[in-house]
Formats: sequence, structure tokens, C-alpha cells
Amino acid sequence: MPEKIELPQGTLDLLILRTLLPGAQHGWAISERVQQVSSEVLSIQQGSLYPALHRLERRGWIKAKWGTSDNNRRAKYYELTRTGEKQLERETEAWRKLTVAVAQVLEGA
Amino acid sequence: MLDDLRYRTRALLHHNEVETELDEELRFHFDHQVEKYMRSGMTEEEAKRRARLAFGGHEQAKEDCREARGTAFIELTLQDTKYAFRQLCANPTFALVMILTLALSIGANSAIFSVINGVLLSRLPYRQPDRLVRIFLSSREYPKFPLNPFDFLDFRARNHSFESIAAFTRGDVQLSGDGEPVRLNGFGITSGYFRVLGLQPELGREFDFQAEIPGNGLQAILSDRVWRTRFGADPNIIGRKITMNMQPFTVIGVMPAGTQHPGNEYHAVAYGESVDVWWPFSFAGNSNQRGSHFIEGIGRLKDGVSDERARAEMNAIMAQLAREHPYDLRWTVLVVPLYTELVGASRQMLLVLLGSVGIVLLIACANAANLLMVRASARQREIAVRLAMGAPRSRVVRQLLTESLLISLTGGALGLGLAYGGVQALVSLLPAGFPRAHDIHVSGPVLAFTILVSFITGILFGLAPALQASRTDPKVGLQKAGRTSTAGRNQGRLRNALVIAEVSLASVLLIGAGLMLRTFLNLIHLNPGFQQDRLLTASLSLPNAQYKTRPQIAQFYDRLASSLNTLPGVESAGAGSDLPWTGYDENAGGFTVEGKKPLPNQEFHARYHMATPGYFSAMGIPLVEGRFFTEADKKDAPFALIINHAMAERYWPHEDVIGKRITFDDEPKKDSDWMTVVGVVGDIKDQPNSPGAEPAFWWSEFQAPEPDMSIAIRTQSDPRQVADGLRDAVHRLDPALAVADVKLMDSVVGTSVSTPRFTFVLVGLFAGLAILLAAIGAYGVIAYTVSQRTPEFGLRVALGAQRSDLLRMVLAHSAKLAVPGTILGVLLALSLGSVVRNLIYGVSPADPVILSAVVLLVLTVALVASYVPARRASRSDPMTTLRAE
Repeated sequence: MPEKIELPQGTLDLLILRTLLPGAQHGWAISERVQQVSSEVLSIQQGSLYPALHRLERRGWIKAKWGTSDNNRRAKYYELTRTGEKQLERETEAWRKLTVAVAQVLEGA
Repeated sequence: MLDDLRYRTRALLHHNEVETELDEELRFHFDHQVEKYMRSGMTEEEAKRRARLAFGGHEQAKEDCREARGTAFIELTLQDTKYAFRQLCANPTFALVMILTLALSIGANSAIFSVINGVLLSRLPYRQPDRLVRIFLSSREYPKFPLNPFDFLDFRARNHSFESIAAFTRGDVQLSGDGEPVRLNGFGITSGYFRVLGLQPELGREFDFQAEIPGNGLQAILSDRVWRTRFGADPNIIGRKITMNMQPFTVIGVMPAGTQHPGNEYHAVAYGESVDVWWPFSFAGNSNQRGSHFIEGIGRLKDGVSDERARAEMNAIMAQLAREHPYDLRWTVLVVPLYTELVGASRQMLLVLLGSVGIVLLIACANAANLLMVRASARQREIAVRLAMGAPRSRVVRQLLTESLLISLTGGALGLGLAYGGVQALVSLLPAGFPRAHDIHVSGPVLAFTILVSFITGILFGLAPALQASRTDPKVGLQKAGRTSTAGRNQGRLRNALVIAEVSLASVLLIGAGLMLRTFLNLIHLNPGFQQDRLLTASLSLPNAQYKTRPQIAQFYDRLASSLNTLPGVESAGAGSDLPWTGYDENAGGFTVEGKKPLPNQEFHARYHMATPGYFSAMGIPLVEGRFFTEADKKDAPFALIINHAMAERYWPHEDVIGKRITFDDEPKKDSDWMTVVGVVGDIKDQPNSPGAEPAFWWSEFQAPEPDMSIAIRTQSDPRQVADGLRDAVHRLDPALAVADVKLMDSVVGTSVSTPRFTFVLVGLFAGLAILLAAIGAYGVIAYTVSQRTPEFGLRVALGAQRSDLLRMVLAHSAKLAVPGTILGVLLALSLGSVVRNLIYGVSPADPVILSAVVLLVLTVALVASYVPARRASRSDPMTTLRAE
């Protein structure tokens, strides 16, 4: 199993928003998806996932509705709102700039 | 923003639903995690354990989610409050004692604050009241004296400091016409008086300068009350003629309801809606004769002019006037802010009351803190469990503070109810003529004050115990649980210090109450110089229009006195120009005592009065030597003078005064220019608490007739029974005359000691509350210590200690708290002595009797409070102890 690394501050929101871009998901699926796509490098602690979801919901970037999961259980699904999509674009752009800049500094030094 | 608000509102309003959803969501996640672990080959047991570990604290996650919802503060508070409420219900006696003592203390504070707010803090009901000042004259003999009318005219013409100034003087009038004639409180005012105050008539206008000219004075402005009660609120009242003092006055204005008289000094009428009618003051007479002073000044300062600057300018004008008129030589001008003039005298008393009631609250706080600390030790286990479960200390402090705030706010709410009733009782207890008594209510500011005080109280008594409890070491707390846990040494010291502080503060209040009690007793046991019992008094005022000549006035009072003396049940009756202790302070100065010269910079002066022959025996004023007036002291007889003992001592020390003479004539030529002393009577002071009696003399009403007189009737039994006889006697002589102020002398005397009585009752009440609270505090500490030391006591008994030894040990602990407490209290009281010096009479703040009585009382109370726990200690059973250990 690859070594897991801690999520840098502020990236959790970005990851959640990005994961929800294809469509609504419940919390469990979000954490599984992030882990899977990142080749098991990134893992989201449940202790921080749910507070983050509630915070994003409060900000109006995602909204929640109750649905039925694959195994026929009631589950809470989150989906991106219009403002959430815009926020995702902004944050993605900011993140790219940041990584490029950090990489330049690291290589140039 | 809107989303945010909607989200938070839902989280709050549908709290339970949101919480259930959160639970469900987290369980959903947990189950999936378990399932995933099981798929990777773990047993269910193992999978659940791993999932729990991966999840971290379930409760912590929930708390974080709540935090993220942005409603954590309110939700936590609600949760803490519910928990606190359950805690209080679980221990109702404890809660009840705390809440009730706080309710009493906070309620007392709110009630006194209502008085302070109404009297000292709320604005006077005039335009820009801080610009208003009162103007008086001052000299060596008369520190605060009314103005002379012609001086006033010069002040008005020459000053640059005032936007406007006006003058007013008491002059009651008799209103007749429709129905029974009545005496009305009246004031003569100069033009612009209401403009100075910033008040507008409701109907009509105020007097113009024309009205000040002699002959134009038959105009009147009515109060709203008189307009409604006597004239049926007639909207066409302006221009109507009404009969006052038997003369036709034209109504030119009506003042609105709520027009407050600003209070006055000379023939005082208290601040309030106390004036019925205003008439124009007219400047009659010779403007060069400026010896008589009877009008009072009020002015509105120009913006940016201080009262100091105005005073300087007025004194410069006074100095000019003194060069122009010899009468004006010895005066300086006082400019006093209206607010100071109105409430200055009550201020100190009110602040002392606020201080006393504040002390009561401090004691209640110390008590509450003590009780909370006892309880915190009993709850050590609960707190240790919470700390062990990972609750941060701040959470524990917060929880405990919520409990103390719940207690103090509940106490505050109850206290507000108590204050509501208390304020009504207070107002009815207030001394007569107390300024602004009608402005005292439980109002918005009082509500705010109560809430604030309750909050501060809760934090004050809750913080130390909460911090202390949160320092509980979970390990120690859990180990000790079940066994009697002992409070730390620090806590014991803090608790002892709190009780010592309580005892000392209660001692201060008790000493204060003792001083007030002595003052009150001194005043009521004072020999007043007259006999107040079985004495009916009333006042009459003969209108100028009808009683034009002095013989007419003399004849009226002569006939009235004769007729009153024949009434059944009357021992003696007479009339005097005033009654003792009613604020009379008319002075006559500038007379000459035969054969004596006044000291430089001084003049002969004395209070002057008029009296009919029966007045002295009716008042019960004793004759020291000589005789009273008789029927023979009439117009053409030699001018007779009765003086008081103080005047005899002042002007003829160690001499036989009967037959001595004084004169008001600058150059007396004949015998009839002189007045001869025919009698000396006992002294009566101006007020019961005046330092000494002023020199005074009486003229015979038949030789110096005065139209406004007070009637005094001494009866054999109940004086109330002759009130109708008095009215009949007056109306037989003149059916149009109003008989005013019919009162018992007892109540006049009662009024004059009402301020010391009020102060004594309140300070006494607060002191009683304080010592009760301090006793509860001492009892609490001793009882707790005894319960802690029961095993030790048991051991001691087992080792051969006598029960009396144990009793002595506990009582010694109590003495260790009470003795330093009382010593501190006495020292504190001595250092505060100057604060009450003006409020006490005939007793020193360091009165040894009061100090030792208080020390004794406090020590006794402390011993009594600790006796019950001491008895319990002395009954400690060694077997119980040994078994328990």
C-alpha cells in the first residue's frame, strides 16, 4: 500500500467539489473516490469529511438531498450547485497557478 | 449569504431532525467502512474495531459538524442550559437557597437603582436642562438668600451670560366662584419665566413685559389640573374672568399636563406638578429701597457660558449695584445648576443606599461562590469523568458558568418582580417633599440594569469555583470518587477568606444601621420645645382686596381666636405666623438693641414671627420668664415683644431681659419707637436636626397684623373632632375663606423626621439581609468542614478526646472567621465614617456603644451559626469512622 500523505490545508474543499462534478454522491462514495483516483495516496479522514460537507452546504456550494443507495439504504447525497461549480473553477485555477509557481521555485532554487 | 442564513435557521429550528440526519449519515459511512474491511477478510469484530479507530471520536466528529453548521454557540448554550437545569432540579434545596438569596439582593439593588434612575439620572423635563441655573444671594449671615426685585431688574438688564433670566416667588391664592373656596399653590412669575424653562402654554400665551407693570397684574395662567377640575377643561377659558383673592383675574394661558415646578427655597414648594396657578409679578414700590428679598432667580445660560463665568459676571454686576445702592453692599451672587439645587441634597443619601445594597449583593455573591465550591467538590467525580472522556477544560468551565448564570438570571428575574413591589413600597416610604418622587418607576433602564447586574453576578460568583473545578485531576478525581473527597488546601483558604469578607461587609452595614438608628432615636427623643400631641393645625390667608387695613386683619384673628376658645373640647387656641419645623426661616435684621453695638461686619438679626395671645399655650411652648401676649397688647398700647431663650442669650447674656428694648427705627426719638421685651419663651430649632436654635422674637398679631396665619388648637382629646368646629368658626366670620392644610401637629413632626426614618429603615433592612447572608455563609463553611473532618473527629474520639473538645474545636474555627471579619468590618466602617457624617445626628461614626454592640452581635451570630455543625461534630461516632475507613 503506497504511503499516504496528509492533505494540505484548504485542498479538501477542492477535492470534494471536484469529486462531485460528474454528479451527486454520498459521503462514503466521495471518500472512496478520492482514495481510488489518487491511487490510494490521498485519504480523507471521516472526522474531517463530514464537517467539510456541512460547511460547504452552509456556503451554498453544494446542496444535500436524501436518496436511496445501491444497496437500497437511505443515504444523503450531495451535489454541486451553480455557485459551487464556479467556485470549483476558481479554486482549480488557483491551485494550478500555485503548483506551477511552487514547482518553478523548487526547480530554480 | 441568504443560503447561509436559511441553513443556520433550519439547523436551529429543526435541531432534532438535523441531528438525526447527521447520525444516520455517519452510521451509513461507518457501515460501509465495516463492510469494506470485512470484504478484505477481517472478522466482523475486527472490522468494527478498525472502523471505529479510523473514524476517530464519533462525538468529536458530530461536534465538528455542528461547528461547521455555524450554530455551535447557540446549540452548545442550549445544551449546557438543559444540562444545568437538570443539575439544579437534581438538587432543589441548593438551587432554591441560591436563587432566593440572589433574588432578594438583586431585587433590592434594582429597587434602589429605580430611585437613583428616577431622581438622579433621568433628565429634567425642560429644554436643555443642563443650561438651567438658579440664582441666589449670599452673605455671611444668610448663605442662600432670595433676590430683591429691583436687583433682579438690573441683573436682567445688564448680564451677558444668560439667554434669559426670570424670577418667581410663592404667593398662594384663594380661588372662589363656583363651589367651595379653595387655596391654590400659586407663584408670581416675571415675563419669560416659561421661556427660560423651555415650556410652552397648551392654550394662550405667557405673561408679557406689560404684565409686570403695577396695575396690570390681574392675569392668570392655570395648571392643567385646575383647568380640568375647576373649569371643566373649558376650551374657551382664554379671556375668561375668574375670582382669585376676591379680585377678577383674566385667564391668559393654560400650561400642559406634566409642567413641573422647578422647586424653590423661600416658602418652598417641592419639585413636581405642584403649582396650580401663576400670576404676573409686578415691580411696585421705590426702586431705591432694596432691603427686602423674596423673589428667586432662574436663568438659562448662553451656549458655551459656564456657571462659573456667569457667577463671575453676576458678581461684577452686584459690585456695581453696591456702589449705587447701600442696601446691596454685603451680598455676593450664587449661581447653582438647577440639577444640583434640586437633587444635590438627596444625592448623598441615595448613593449611601446604593452602596449598602451593593454590599448586600457582594455578600450574596460570596455566599453563592462558597456554595458552588462545596458543590463542585461533591461533583468532582462527574467533572473528572467528563475530563477523562476528552472534554476540554474550557468546556467544563463553560458548563459550570452556564449553571451559575442560570441561577443568577433566574434570581434576577425574580428580583425584578420583587423590585416592582419594592419600588412602590419605597416611594410610599419616601420623605415628604422628596424631589422627583413621581419619576421613580421600574423602567427600561432599570430592566437593563437588572439584566446586567444578574450577568455580572453570575460570572462573579461562578468563575472562581468553575476554574477551580476544571483544575480537577481526572485521575485523582476518579480515584477519590465514592470516598469523601477533600477540597484542596487552596479551596479551603479561599472559602475561609470569602466568609471573612462576608462578615466584615455585614459588620459595616450593621454599624451603618446602628448609626442611622441612633440618629433617628436622637431626633424623635429630642425635646422639640413644643408639645406635638392633641394639636390641630391649619392655615388661613386673608385676601388683600377684602382685608385692606391692619385693624381689619387684627380684628379677624382676635374674633376667630375667641370663637375657637369656646369650642367644646378645646384647651387653648391661637394663631401664629408659622408652625415649628415647617421650613420657616424669615429673618429680620438691622434692628438696634438699646445700649449695644453690633460687632464689626455683623448686624443684629433674628427670626421674626407674629402670634395671638393663645398661640404659645396652644403650641405648648413654655414661658421662661415674664408673660405671654394679652388682649391688652393692642394697636395703641406700648409695643410688646416676646423673645426666645437663644435671643436673650445672644444679645443680653447674663442680664435680666424683661423690660429691655429694641428698635427698627434708625433714629428713635420717642418711647413708642421702641419695642419692649415682656416675655421669654423656650427655644425651638428650625428643624429637628438643626445644630441649635436661632435667636427669634414674636410681635403681637394685634400690633403687627399679618394676613397669612397658621391656626393651632390644643384639645382635651382627639384633635380631629374639632376640625369641623374650626371650619364653622371661620365661615361664620367669612363664608368665602378657605381653610387649608388641616393637619395634626403629630404628622407635621412625623414629616420632619421622615428622611432619617427612611434612611434608617432601608439601611437596617439591608444590614439585616447582610447578616443573614453572612450567617448562611459561615454555617455553610463550618458545616462542610465538619462533614469533611467527621472521620478525623471519630479518630480523635477513639483516641480519647472529649466531646467538649470537639465542640470547642469547631467553635474555634468559627471564631477564626468571625473575629478577623468583625475587626476588618470595624476598620472599614471607621474609614467610611466621613461618607455618612452629613446623614447622622448626635452620634459619632466611631460611637463605642454601636461598635461594641455590632461586634457582640456578629460574634454571637457566628457562634449560633456554627453551633449546629459543632454539635454534630461532637457526636462523631468512632465506630462509624473506623468502619468507613
